[in-house]
Amino acid sequence: MIISQETMDVDFVRKVETLSGTSVRRCFQCGKCSAGCPMATFMEHPPNRVVRLLQLGQWQRILAGRSIWYCASCETCTTRCPNKVDLTSIMDALRKLSWDAEGASKESYVQLANKLFLQNIRTYGRQYEMRLAAVFNVKSGQFLKDLMLGPKLLAKGKLKLFHSKNKNLSEIEKIFTRIEEMRAKGEAL
Amino acid sequence: MTPKNIMEYSYYPGCSLHASAGEYDLSTRELFKTLGIGLTEIPDWFCCGATPAHNVDELLSLSLCAKNLELADSVEGDVAVACAACFSRLKTTQHTLKENETKRKQVEKAIDAPVKLDSKVKHLLEILAKDLGLERLAAAVNKPLSGLKVACYYGCLLTRPTDVPNLDCTEAPTIMEHVIEAVGAETVAWTHRLECCGANFTLSRPGVVIQLTNAILESAKAAGADCIMVGCPLCHGNLDIRQKEIEGVYNTNYNLPVFYLTQLVGLSVGLGSDKLGLDAMIVNPTPLLKEKGLL
Repeated sequence: MIISQETMDVDFVRKVETLSGTSVRRCFQCGKCSAGCPMATFMEHPPNRVVRLLQLGQWQRILAGRSIWYCASCETCTTRCPNKVDLTSIMDALRKLSWDAEGASKESYVQLANKLFLQNIRTYGRQYEMRLAAVFNVKSGQFLKDLMLGPKLLAKGKLKLFHSKNKNLSEIEKIFTRIEEMRAKGEAL
Repeated sequence: MTPKNIMEYSYYPGCSLHASAGEYDLSTRELFKTLGIGLTEIPDWFCCGATPAHNVDELLSLSLCAKNLELADSVEGDVAVACAACFSRLKTTQHTLKENETKRKQVEKAIDAPVKLDSKVKHLLEILAKDLGLERLAAAVNKPLSGLKVACYYGCLLTRPTDVPNLDCTEAPTIMEHVIEAVGAETVAWTHRLECCGANFTLSRPGVVIQLTNAILESAKAAGADCIMVGCPLCHGNLDIRQKEIEGVYNTNYNLPVFYLTQLVGLSVGLGSDKLGLDAMIVNPTPLLKEKGLL
């Protein structure tokens, strides 16, 4: 592939830089992030290459792959970067932009889990693990996943079947709504 | 008459402590009561958004944490946090919004209130090691954990990244070891105390979690540990709840009980099994504790 001015999408990279609050141009490719990354073996583009692709404006290649959905947000890369590239935030920004362009990535299980997690917050204010796991299994079609763990966890009191609702749920709805409004008006990414 | 507490905190338990990590909540409340540290739960706190929120929507994540900091302000004292992930999110929010004015303005609009940038957010470890202090902690011990070899597991979010949690050194922390040695236990030197267990993939990618967590259990066992100590309900979930499954996959036997720090410290100040929720642990700690004369 020939990389030229035309193949670079600088606007996208600027969005990543704004969202992450970090500059991809600071990276000098020492590779320390990938060396310490616990998930690098699962990724087709390890962390340092993700930054290199951004430097070259080749973001489509990142979003088409699974690397960003295999990042565990362990913060090792950001901690060890000698040039203060906040790679964990770059990964967040890439996921956000991929999330916005629905279907951009094939890693649907991770996206489904994230989506259900956020829905739970909006509806209940808090996370209810039992509900999260049950709905995840149904929606992902893995009805039997972790089935053996269920009875054990119930017996140990680790899965609560009933829960109380927050009294101030309307406040959480307001936060979600205000953020949606800000985005609709173009005041926030 | 109960004596007056020596310190007061506003307590943010987080979602896990109200469900799968009930024993962490119970042992925290009992231990702190015994030590004379007051914990008042923040009324109607919300989920901090944990990893899934910042993964796909940073503005939402920052806003949820900023809202919780606002709610925490209604209760006296610094904010005491038990879960490493909640701790990390609350501290990251303060750090990010201090540095980035644009984001701060967006968050203030979302929560319709100023952000409490300067309220002090502390993990339980920090309260025990620094606010209470190791000397006072050691003085409260009446059943030293002699002969118990503990592998202290930090995981990711207690110490990383640099300048955010500011709990201890990012690459060679010692705060957990200091706390547990102060109550009489031994600690082991091991390789995987800062490695990631894959926490947030436990739902979506259990295969990844099994691989990463196995390496942690293997390392602790090889170092001669009797048990593992954690300060995070997500690490606990993977190390304890999935341990049997991992043993099956790798055809091995670890049998390493995984304690919350408050359970082990609680044991040393004389709290009984019922006040520490030991029966909620999946890997049964009773044989080990009986062998060491601690139960």
